[in-house]
Amino acid sequence: MSRRVRDPLDYAPDDLDRPFWDGCRRHEFLLQRSGVTGRYHWPAVSDPDSGREAMEWVRVSGRGVIHTFTIVHQAYRADLADRVPYNVVVVELEEGPFFHSNVVDCPNEAIRIGMQVEVVFDDVSDEVTLPRFRPRRPSRPVGP
Amino acid sequence: MSRATVARPSRISAIWAGGATAISALIAARGVLALGQASTVALCYGFAPSALRAPSGSRTGSGTGLGGYAYGYPALYGMLGAAASHALHAQRHIHLYGTTSEQLGAVAVTQRGYAAKRPGTLGFERPITLADHQSSRMICDPLRLLDCCRDTDGGVCVIVATRERARDLRGAPVRVLGTGTGHNIRNWYDKSVYGHHDDIAPAKARAFAEAGVGLEAVDVAALYDPFTISVVMQLEAYGFCAPGEGGPFVAAGETGPGGQIPTNTSGGPLSGYYATGFTAMVEAILQLRGHGGATQVDGAEVALVSGHGGNGGVQNTWAHATALLGRGL
Repeated sequence: MSRRVRDPLDYAPDDLDRPFWDGCRRHEFLLQRSGVTGRYHWPAVSDPDSGREAMEWVRVSGRGVIHTFTIVHQAYRADLADRVPYNVVVVELEEGPFFHSNVVDCPNEAIRIGMQVEVVFDDVSDEVTLPRFRPRRPSRPVGP
Repeated sequence: MSRATVARPSRISAIWAGGATAISALIAARGVLALGQASTVALCYGFAPSALRAPSGSRTGSGTGLGGYAYGYPALYGMLGAAASHALHAQRHIHLYGTTSEQLGAVAVTQRGYAAKRPGTLGFERPITLADHQSSRMICDPLRLLDCCRDTDGGVCVIVATRERARDLRGAPVRVLGTGTGHNIRNWYDKSVYGHHDDIAPAKARAFAEAGVGLEAVDVAALYDPFTISVVMQLEAYGFCAPGEGGPFVAAGETGPGGQIPTNTSGGPLSGYYATGFTAMVEAILQLRGHGGATQVDGAEVALVSGHGGNGGVQNTWAHATALLGRGL
């Protein structure tokens, strides 16, 4: 079981990305979709392809694959000293965009590029929920 | 009467683009000169990152130091500093091409070999072995301590002048053959960001087109190298070797003395000193003047200089800047 990085270090939603973080509090993973091209984007932007602002927030799968990662051994902040080593991954979401995050429920040494992951919402405080990712498990039968 | 010359600049402006600062400033200076706004421009750099470090003996950064800056939403996940950013590229390179830690170590060992012969560098008279690299502690996997540069207190001044003015100045002049830039934010949106060190292609194309020379004309390379992976990926992107061949290329000694393309001949930021992109520019100038000391590349006529830095939206989205410099006017 890997340790979790609990505290939000830089949580400062602004008008552009507030819908995303509000969605996380509802345990919904949202991405912006271009009304022009239909492509999904993160972080929040005006449409990088057309330059037009026809973007809407859409709930998406929360699934993806690990595109690349690192295991951080150096504590760059004093408050991370008891948490190293921890992982940082870049997830390539099914809908296209990259998303930086952590993988949980997986030892650091088992993390691999190409690993299939799914979002899990970590309510780190009453105000803040961070999306992290865990390895996707085979689908299980519903019920007792 | 004082012999000191009082500086009376017509303008002063600040330019900050991380490791792309030096070439970005050179490009700005070229614009000023081309518009006839001045005949001489001084590119002045000074920095004392030691002031940002944690107290002596502490293994944890201060949180505001050069190595551990926070940038945007990835910081929520502990994504801090440049080593983690470059580690993401390195891990991807290992995945795609089978690049090894030993090959990254070859970059560190080769460049320390240059620095060991150059007085004034951090690595002077202190060569390292591959075993030293392999036993150095992990910083951001796969980057070990000896894959990382150290910040350095210091200053640089480069004088840029019109050709006419340069003829009247003392010292051996170096010619600016061409410059160009590219920015990696484009590669974030097309998802090639981790397969590229930067958006080098447009920077390279513009600089070489302006210079009117090809890669074969380059005698010495001075590549911005905050981390060993930066050398590997830039050698590939500039075309000194094929994509994925950067690791074996360096391990075979091709960037060392007498290799196909001697690279970072003062040790670079990795083993020489870190001056936010000026390290490379300074070494290129010294080589073209024939002032490279024990690591002078004989007959160096054309030098390639690169820089990268200055985030533009998401961690890893750096600017890249290319300059080609030539011996004499």
